Amino acid sequence: MGMILEPERRKTDLIDFLRTIQRPDFPLQEIDGDLSLVESGLIDSLALLQIITYLEQTYDIDFREKGIDPGEIKSVNAILELIARESAA
Amino acid sequence: MKTPAFLALYRAVSQFHENETLIGWLQDCKLVVWLTPQRRKTILVVGATFAAIVGTMDRHARWSDYRHAATWLVPAVALPILLGIIYLLYLMAVHFKRLPAFVRTRPQICVHILIWVLLVSIWLKLSPSVFGIMVITLIAGSFPYLIWRCGYMVLSGQRGKAITTKFTDHFFYIFPVWDGTNTPPGKGYDNLSRAATQTATAYTRSLLAGVKLLLLVALWQGVMQVMGAVVYGDPKNSLTGILGGHDLGIPRLKYIINGNVAPALGIVWLSLYLELIWEALSIAARGHVWVGVLRLFGFPVFRNTYKPLLAESIVEFWNRFYYYFKELLVEFFFLPTYLRYFRNRPVLRMIAAVFAAALIGNMYYHLLQARHPLIAADFKQLWGLLGARLIYCFMLAVGISISMLRQQRQRGRMAALGPRKGGVYRLGRIASVWTFFAVINFWNVKAGITIPERGRLFLSLFGF
Repeated sequence: MGMILEPERRKTDLIDFLRTIQRPDFPLQEIDGDLSLVESGLIDSLALLQIITYLEQTYDIDFREKGIDPGEIKSVNAILELIARESAA
Repeated sequence: MKTPAFLALYRAVSQFHENETLIGWLQDCKLVVWLTPQRRKTILVVGATFAAIVGTMDRHARWSDYRHAATWLVPAVALPILLGIIYLLYLMAVHFKRLPAFVRTRPQICVHILIWVLLVSIWLKLSPSVFGIMVITLIAGSFPYLIWRCGYMVLSGQRGKAITTKFTDHFFYIFPVWDGTNTPPGKGYDNLSRAATQTATAYTRSLLAGVKLLLLVALWQGVMQVMGAVVYGDPKNSLTGILGGHDLGIPRLKYIINGNVAPALGIVWLSLYLELIWEALSIAARGHVWVGVLRLFGFPVFRNTYKPLLAESIVEFWNRFYYYFKELLVEFFFLPTYLRYFRNRPVLRMIAAVFAAALIGNMYYHLLQARHPLIAADFKQLWGLLGARLIYCFMLAVGISISMLRQQRQRGRMAALGPRKGGVYRLGRIASVWTFFAVINFWNVKAGITIPERGRLFLSLFGF
């Protein structure tokens, strides 16, 4: 069952999760909402799969029919938009 | 700490595309100002029309054969049908939500059914006339190039992003002027529309980044020319004659596998590693042309090849060596498998997705690429072309699975430990990646020997 969270709480939870999957050699400072996670080097493409799993498990999002555009999970803001969109659907 | 002068100079020259003074000057140039996003798109669409005509004619016959008027007939009939099919696929993308449930859940399979229907109709000679078979053959023979590009268009529809798009928004990447192999560099609408530059400054940056890539093409081609002469002593290389026989004389791997030469074991291993370097240079030079042209048109997309020989893991090498082929396999095979199957069994989920991409997807892509034996239903020739590749793809899938699972397990632990170790440790990791890809590449090199013969030669690498 997906969790119903406030937008701010969603963001905090997401950033906490990203800290657990970040590349070990990337000196993490603040994560800007529009920062491209892969291009900036914060995470690698493998970590995108972990983000998908996170979204499936935390928000009960089912990607089976619509598939997923990796661009939709390229930044914190993009992921939050996806969560908001899917939660509203 | 102050940067040494020569390093600062090197950085200024190599990073000229980020020079703000140059960008500021160039963005006011008449040509750059004139090349608005709309005009660039118009050029690409006109170019795509030209590419569609030339590509179809080229697939049908040799250019010298077009002296005879009859040669024009088949492409003149096939091209409108081909464009009609692509337009239908565009409508499928635009009206995706209205499609039947089976098509919505498996759109790519439905797209690929098309090519197999065409192939079966050729094999069964369903057309009553020779002319009809020739038309169908040309349409079917064009699809290995178009199918993945159309796949991206349909994928865009699946993601709900094609609803408001026009046909021209897709047409220019289905018949791209920047060319490429059957793999679409820059991918499709979703990626290109996201990357497209809208301001003069952003376009100028993209333009300069494109120029840089085209300069790198010249550099890598020069390196290959020198390597071909100095290392291989290639008689077709113009530099070889200048060296007057003073080359290393290392044989290319294909000559060793074919049994044309039988060097000592050490030389065979050297040839294996050199083949990897040669292929990295070759794919980098070709890929930089495609991406360079894309950037000249205002699409600052990722490079096709980005320093693969510095990769420290198998999965990183795979990501950097031929990025757009890897992306194709990820988007059409890996992600659909990953999203659909084994959701509650993470390890199996990952392995299944990797095998779907690196083994099944990779083999299927190359099956379609072998269009001549495929159209002729020459399965013996197909096996001869692809049999060894099956072993290559299997080894690749095993390597990537292990690499991905290891990385996933290590990530959390290493994040807590801090930065990775450097120096010798890093070199060791790079060397192991080189060794893995050099060894599996043994099964990827085209050669006219049977699989058991290749197997015996492969075992001899390890002293058996």
